[in-house]
Amino acid sequence: MNVLARHRALQRIWASEPGFRGWFTTVNHNDLGRMFMAASICFFIIGGLLAMLIRAQLATPRSAFMEPETYAQVFTMHGTIMMFLFAIPLFEGFTVYMLPKMLGTRDLAYPRLSAYGFWCYAFGGSMLIVALLAGIAPDSGWFMYPPLTSKLNSHGINTDFWLIGITFVEISAISAAVEIVVSVLRFRAPGMSLASMPVYAWYALVVAVMILTGFPPLILGSILLELERAFGMPFFQVSAGGDSLLWQHLFWLFGHPEVYIIFLPAAGVISTILPVMARTTLLGYGWVVASAIALAVLSFGLWVHHMFTTGIPHLGLAFFSAASTLVAVPTGIQVFAWIGTLWKGRPKMHLPMRWLIAFFATFVIGGLTGVMVAVVPFDWQVHDTHFIVAHLHYVLVGGFVFPMLAALYYWLPQVTGRRRFFKLGEVAFWLIFLGFHVTFLAVHWAGLVGMRRRIFTYESGQGWEVINLVSSIGSFVMAIGFAMVVVDIAFNVWAANRGSRDPWRAGTLEWAMPTPSPAYNFASLPWIDARDPLYRDPELPARIARGEGLLGDPARGRRETLTVDVASGKPDAIVVFPGNTVLPIVMAFVTGGIFVGMLLKIYWLIPIAAAGVLALALRWAWSQGARPDEGMLPAGHGLSLPLASASLAPPGWWGSLFLLVADAVFFGSLLFGYAFLWTVAPNWPPPEFLVPGLAGPGLGLAGIILMPLATRLSEARLKDGRPLAVPLGLLFVGTMSVALAAVVVMVTAPGHDSHAYGATLWVLSGYLLLHAAVVGVMILFIAAQARAGYLSKERRGALRIVRLWSDYTATVAAISLIAIYLPGALA
Amino acid sequence: MIEILRMATPLTVWLAGFSGIYGLHGLLCSARGAWLFGLTGNMLLVLAWLLLVLLQAALLYGLSYRFASPAPFCRWVSMAAAAASLVASLWSLFPVVAISHCL
Repeated sequence: MNVLARHRALQRIWASEPGFRGWFTTVNHNDLGRMFMAASICFFIIGGLLAMLIRAQLATPRSAFMEPETYAQVFTMHGTIMMFLFAIPLFEGFTVYMLPKMLGTRDLAYPRLSAYGFWCYAFGGSMLIVALLAGIAPDSGWFMYPPLTSKLNSHGINTDFWLIGITFVEISAISAAVEIVVSVLRFRAPGMSLASMPVYAWYALVVAVMILTGFPPLILGSILLELERAFGMPFFQVSAGGDSLLWQHLFWLFGHPEVYIIFLPAAGVISTILPVMARTTLLGYGWVVASAIALAVLSFGLWVHHMFTTGIPHLGLAFFSAASTLVAVPTGIQVFAWIGTLWKGRPKMHLPMRWLIAFFATFVIGGLTGVMVAVVPFDWQVHDTHFIVAHLHYVLVGGFVFPMLAALYYWLPQVTGRRRFFKLGEVAFWLIFLGFHVTFLAVHWAGLVGMRRRIFTYESGQGWEVINLVSSIGSFVMAIGFAMVVVDIAFNVWAANRGSRDPWRAGTLEWAMPTPSPAYNFASLPWIDARDPLYRDPELPARIARGEGLLGDPARGRRETLTVDVASGKPDAIVVFPGNTVLPIVMAFVTGGIFVGMLLKIYWLIPIAAAGVLALALRWAWSQGARPDEGMLPAGHGLSLPLASASLAPPGWWGSLFLLVADAVFFGSLLFGYAFLWTVAPNWPPPEFLVPGLAGPGLGLAGIILMPLATRLSEARLKDGRPLAVPLGLLFVGTMSVALAAVVVMVTAPGHDSHAYGATLWVLSGYLLLHAAVVGVMILFIAAQARAGYLSKERRGALRIVRLWSDYTATVAAISLIAIYLPGALA
Repeated sequence: MIEILRMATPLTVWLAGFSGIYGLHGLLCSARGAWLFGLTGNMLLVLAWLLLVLLQAALLYGLSYRFASPAPFCRWVSMAAAAASLVASLWSLFPVVAISHCL
């Protein structure tokens, strides 16, 4: 088969549907990555317009440009859009588009999940924009502190839009994170070991794990606050055993890692682009990887530094002050590695390089003001002033927007296949860079002379007038610069000439394919044993196109790629991907029904939508199964591999594992909240305890013992080729026993709206009931699959997934029931 | 997967220890005057800190020798992470010996 015939055959297999319909049915990472990025840039433009409104309002004292109520919505939505609808989704979109190309594979691990995540993001983000246009947008600041956001002080639907809309959008972040982790660990080019992974893949892995562990506390906080607002469960009301500081803990457990979730992808971009611009390789690859890991974990130990003024004991202040200064070390190591890379190379001042230099200048200033606010006495002085506003913009714009502009111009030829011709970008660079520094140096100054943040106006005569006017002029210059970038990109996308395949002479795999890339990325999967394979073998792109790698023969006529061993990169299975489908968009739409039902208090809609999601999820899972045992299949080069569905740890098992990591963090955050209220909140202990009888603990214990035994018995019987009816029946009985134990807690617990203790027991038992229900459905599903011939001695992976969920549920049941009953037993 | 665990464990242990000692501090402050086996709150915090430091030192030793990765790159990253965790444990929790715990 020649190159063209191979291309045509692969294109026929992998292509999305033509025309408008293709937008809604595509599951290809190229399409979805572009859609993610385009949507996030639209949200960035909306957020940017809101920023201009803020600066117009503050340009002069006693401005009548906006009413205070409108101003509150505008600054809240500016922060919310930039953090949740622009920065994280841009990372997701960029990674969805680029990661498979860098890793040398044909798509991400779960193509339909990519699509589902995108549509949840699009629908959830749209909900917030509709609220903004209708004048009922959130208005309590992007971190939504109660009691300002409690029902007493925020009567309308504004706060609910934030809590429900953002939680809907976070489905997208969690989906993308699971996808990225599994893709980096298992979906790489054959031979690509951990040591030879492109450095961006390390950053993507680290950030995805951070999303899985950082977002659940916020999801929990949003659920608890919404439960308080909707059903009177007093988690944050001091008079009923709650504490508004609990929200701050949960929010910043997410919020501080969030800063690094935004910065680290940009650091990955810098570590990738900088060596190419300097015409050398990255200095200290191992140091950079270790620093990224250290930075990620250390960032989870800093959350209280956002709460230095809340009156916590001095020892707590000292812990978090020390940890906050420590985090500068791994950041500094990365900065020095980049400077060293520049030193050993011969840098060329192309446009991406200019943005990287702008990053250095800006981010280092933001980092240093970060160390200043890590020092408690200084933080007490500048807390909630414009100094903090300036600091966070130096970190986020300098540390994310500037590197992403470098990325935009660096990878534009890869995405469009065109050579940049129009040079508006250079002018835009200077307008944005100078405009940004004029704006935010002035904002630092305003903060140091005492200007509070979030005030909608100020009196003249306080020395703030000139500073604010200068800042506003700078911001409009910056906005003109961003508009010019949009025009520049539009011209270059539609009107520039065709370019060469690797215009920067880079060494990573995304430049080893035709541009714009075909739907299948690689005509064959190359063996990789170097971080910059194109430097080692300049002929590699031609050899890939000639089908000299693995899976170069499309004869089986289906979407195939490889999974590899995590550490060594040795290929271990062939994965068959699903084709185009409307299932993800339909499921995202129906999922939206749950959130809309909660938002508009149309409670009958929630169970209907949930049943719809369940039915669609079952259809989704059913279509993944394989019935015949295909045995070993040829993959090329004399290598034969089994299908992934015949492995003991199929991709679904890996996805479940990392989803359960996020789930466990959610559960841990709930236990933390319970312990926090117990030890710190006033009005504890509660007026009455739940006294353990026989029913609840007995049912729970029976289920906890039965579930792990039954799953192992099921596996043993399947391995021997024997029927599964009895062990699956036992597993179902055990699971329902746990579910009944949860119901007993709900029936016997003190009232959910009288004290935070009762409310917490309701949430703990609700969590348990939900998990038991999920496992129950999985058991019925696997029984139906066994009956239909989807399971065999060779195809046991699906049962292992059930075992994973069952073991998790049994474990959290044991911990929950101890947490629920122990206080009552001791009392 | 074992290689990823080697790299992730030391810093995760730091995070668990750091959060645990902060939580212990909250617990001791909420139950003023509490003691365990004759130990005061300050002594318990110092003991917990020393245990964490010892655990981190053991992890560094283990990842350098007995449980060292066979892959040089993974060994290097896991040892760097363990060294960083040891320094983080010493630095971020040293206030237990410098500051009164419920002031």
